[in-house]
Amino acid sequence: MLEFSVLILFPLFCTGVCYLLKSIRTQYIISMFVSSFHLIFSLMIFIGWYEPNLPFFFSTDSLSKLFLLVISNVYFWVVLVSFSYLRRPALAKSEEGKRYYFLLLNFYLFANTAAILSNHFGMYWVAAEATTLSVAPLIYFYRNEEALEAMWKYLFLVSVGIAFAFIGILFLILASKGTILEGHQLFFSEFVKKAAVLNPVWLKASFIFIFVGLSTKIGIAPMHSGDVDATSNAPSPIAALMSGSLRITALLGVLRIFQIVSPTSTHEFAKTILVIGGLISLFVAFIYMFKVNNYKRLLAYSSVEHLGIIALGIGIGGIAFIGAMYHVIYNSLNKMVLFFTAGNIHRKFKTREVSGVTSVLNILPLTGWMFLLSFFAISAIPPFGIFFSELMIFQGMLFSDKPWILFITMFLLLFIFINMGKTIFQMLYSKNENEEILLEKEKFEIIHFATIVILILLIAIAVISPEILRDNILNISKDFGIKL
Amino acid sequence: MVFIQSCSHSIIQLMIGNFSVLASLGYKLIKNIMQNVLSILFCLSLFYLSVTSRVKAYVTVLQFQGVLLTVLLVFPFIGHFSIYALILPATLFFVKVILIPKYIKKIILDLDIKRTIEPTIQQITFLLIIIFSMTIIFIISNVLSKSTDIETIPFASGFTAIAVGIFVIIYRKKLIVHVAGFLVLENGIFLFGTAVASELPMMIEIGVLLDVFVVVFLMGIAINKISSTLSGFDVTALGRLKD
Amino acid sequence: MELTTFVRGIISLLVVLGFAPLFAGLVNKLKAIFTGRLGAPVLQPYSDLKRLFRKETINANSSSFISVISPTINLVAVVIAAAMLPIGFERPLISFEGDIILFAYILGLARFFQILAAMDIGSSFEGMGASREAAFAVFAEPIFFFTLGSIAFISGLTSIYEIYHSIRLDNVTYIVFIIVCSISVFILAVTECSRMPVDDPKTHLELTMIHEVMILDNSGVDLFLYQYSSHIKLFIYAILETSFFYPFGIRSYTVAIVIFVVVITALSISLAIVETITSRFKMKSIPHYLLFATAIGILNLLIYTFTV
Repeated sequence: MLEFSVLILFPLFCTGVCYLLKSIRTQYIISMFVSSFHLIFSLMIFIGWYEPNLPFFFSTDSLSKLFLLVISNVYFWVVLVSFSYLRRPALAKSEEGKRYYFLLLNFYLFANTAAILSNHFGMYWVAAEATTLSVAPLIYFYRNEEALEAMWKYLFLVSVGIAFAFIGILFLILASKGTILEGHQLFFSEFVKKAAVLNPVWLKASFIFIFVGLSTKIGIAPMHSGDVDATSNAPSPIAALMSGSLRITALLGVLRIFQIVSPTSTHEFAKTILVIGGLISLFVAFIYMFKVNNYKRLLAYSSVEHLGIIALGIGIGGIAFIGAMYHVIYNSLNKMVLFFTAGNIHRKFKTREVSGVTSVLNILPLTGWMFLLSFFAISAIPPFGIFFSELMIFQGMLFSDKPWILFITMFLLLFIFINMGKTIFQMLYSKNENEEILLEKEKFEIIHFATIVILILLIAIAVISPEILRDNILNISKDFGIKL
Repeated sequence: MVFIQSCSHSIIQLMIGNFSVLASLGYKLIKNIMQNVLSILFCLSLFYLSVTSRVKAYVTVLQFQGVLLTVLLVFPFIGHFSIYALILPATLFFVKVILIPKYIKKIILDLDIKRTIEPTIQQITFLLIIIFSMTIIFIISNVLSKSTDIETIPFASGFTAIAVGIFVIIYRKKLIVHVAGFLVLENGIFLFGTAVASELPMMIEIGVLLDVFVVVFLMGIAINKISSTLSGFDVTALGRLKD
Repeated sequence: MELTTFVRGIISLLVVLGFAPLFAGLVNKLKAIFTGRLGAPVLQPYSDLKRLFRKETINANSSSFISVISPTINLVAVVIAAAMLPIGFERPLISFEGDIILFAYILGLARFFQILAAMDIGSSFEGMGASREAAFAVFAEPIFFFTLGSIAFISGLTSIYEIYHSIRLDNVTYIVFIIVCSISVFILAVTECSRMPVDDPKTHLELTMIHEVMILDNSGVDLFLYQYSSHIKLFIYAILETSFFYPFGIRSYTVAIVIFVVVITALSISLAIVETITSRFKMKSIPHYLLFATAIGILNLLIYTFTV
């Protein structure tokens, strides 16, 4: 019961507390407290020092342990930098948004943890919808027209998408009709064990509906537009939260249904769908990179690209699946650095247009270097983690029965890298006539501390490659029935 | 007098005959028939939705569908009554018949939204599209019902409602009508859920209802803000975000 | 055909012919009561018909023989249609395989001659009314075929009498079916007989009229024939509706009479209510209304081809 209280009830309780407290500083301290507790517990559960025993609709397995750690980690850093972010002189209109900021964050943590730990499709659905609800008002933090439009589109699109996922869940019930699973309710663990008896027609329909519905939330093309709008118009910590953890939560739903599908005859079909989704995402990102004019949108499309790579990896299977799991970790760490630094740039230049940003390396040297490094990291340059995970995915593609996917992927990634690099180098190096006006010494803030630590983590995990992590990911692939 | 007596006698006989027939059919079949009747009424409300051009009519239809769904949920409990089992229908009734329609009406009143729905295609084309898709859905679900044990009529009606919800979102301009379309879609899913003999536990069903309510609540707030900052409440006001 | 069956058929036809104006009078009376007026007596249509019958017929100078024959053809066609209705449990006067088609098109013939006669006069108003009548008839026809046709389709029978006899009220699925059917037949009756949401029989504003404008230039016996046939037509649809509820399984005349009276009264009340609370539709939205009824018919067909 302790773990349940710390992971799920405590954030919910703090949501209420934040509603009652007026002072943002107190709210911040409480949220910090919650998030560090959450992180410590997730870490303990992950390492195995603590054997969780969750009630009714919740349970843990290797997959949820890994994802719990990832989202807990992202949440911790986001809360850490949030206070300094809120203290910045921003638009007067966003003052009222600050009051509910930590409240919504705490609620988000509650909903997200519930989604990750749920053992029941219905519970997962309810919790995943609740994460959308908690994030939507945060997107509208700036209280301007773009943010409003982004919030509306995100809320509407994701709600409709999630409704489709619910249809998929109902199809799953239909698939179990007349089998031994009938009456066992929608528990993942039950379904995974006896998946072979499910009716293949309904299972296929179920997979398609859940995948398409949740891809509005994951941001896999062609359902990515609401997600991209929201990520690019939200304040930076929220954008980091969405890219780093919200998409992962939605991905979990797809992974769950994929796990059920794995031992059945529908497996090949599901893999094809995932590969198609991944390739379309890469292609959409590839097209967008040719006409970038908004660097926040650039990062949002980069998220589309990387979630596409993850979907590809899962779809290819084998070693690529393991690569995809590593990619989930590295991508969520990396996206945080990118969005935090982009937030700093936005604060200085007051614009999201690429053309308005010049000579970042001179004006904001610290942020600039971090931005450059994180760009290298996201482009899979060693020794950053993404290099190793992508290598594994490529290896999986090459030795799969469809090696041509590798060539398409490489081609698209190359151009994405070139075009993204062109934009980012222009932002970092291009000269500005009235540079001196903007020139003042950049103070070392908590945001810089966070980015440095995360970048170090990104290298460290890849280089040290902890035994526990490897074992966990191998366990996940065993759960998915992947032979290496 | 004799005539009247014989009349009443025959009528009573007829009624008793019918009731005994009903009783002999068994509980499950009665439930099945009630489900079919309610689903057909649901379909009729969808047709009404596709020919009406008033925003308020949408709210009325939502209320009507809420009542239908409530009856559908209450019906199985008539045989073996328990207070516990009534929580879900009561919540459903409260959310779908009272809370959400009242809230939407309030938004319409506050923002002074004009009463026409502003379709982007002709009403008659819209109705034809719906009839066409309904026909296809019924045929497909009939084919499917041969391999799986599903109730064709509620299944197909629910799916038609999902399609209608999506068409309403696509072919109407006003954002408040989009919200109504989303709710029709949700109602369709609910009906469809009862057709597959839903195994979802009550707690989760209530969670779903609350989620839907909060979504509508947030959408209402957003529409409020959109009408004040972007000065308009249809999709044409939303065109800022492009690639 | 046996003699008794023949006599019974004659009697049922006479019932239709005799009670038709009474039904129209009942609807008008109820409508008056609902709108807070005293209203004309229930038997007023009889007096009206009597008055018209006594008057002289005057035809327009421009009209041809069409105007002379069409009122008679109109009435005869409607009476033939009435002779095909199953009123008792016995076979009606005219009944054979496929008479459902004859029924639909003999009413079509009546309408056709009315339209011809309206155009024959040469007045632009009548022509306008005729064009409207023709346009809405196009939308009204599918309603008939999707409702009665769907029962025909299920039972595999094509005679009205047999179609109705295939209905079994103790089969509960049919009850659902009949509830839905009666909605679309009601809408059909409203359309075909030019009642309120589609057409307003009481106004004399030429721009909005459909049916009434066509008989604007008729008088005397011609007008009597038109009026009487429209009364019969309304009653025909009322009987189509009523026959759904007949206890064909029991064949008890007492129950049949009670059901007949109850349903006819209920129908007149609902017609009166609809006419009281609704206003006439815009011309533009009448097709929507009719297509709505067609949609109900299609739904009916879909449901029962797949479930019964």
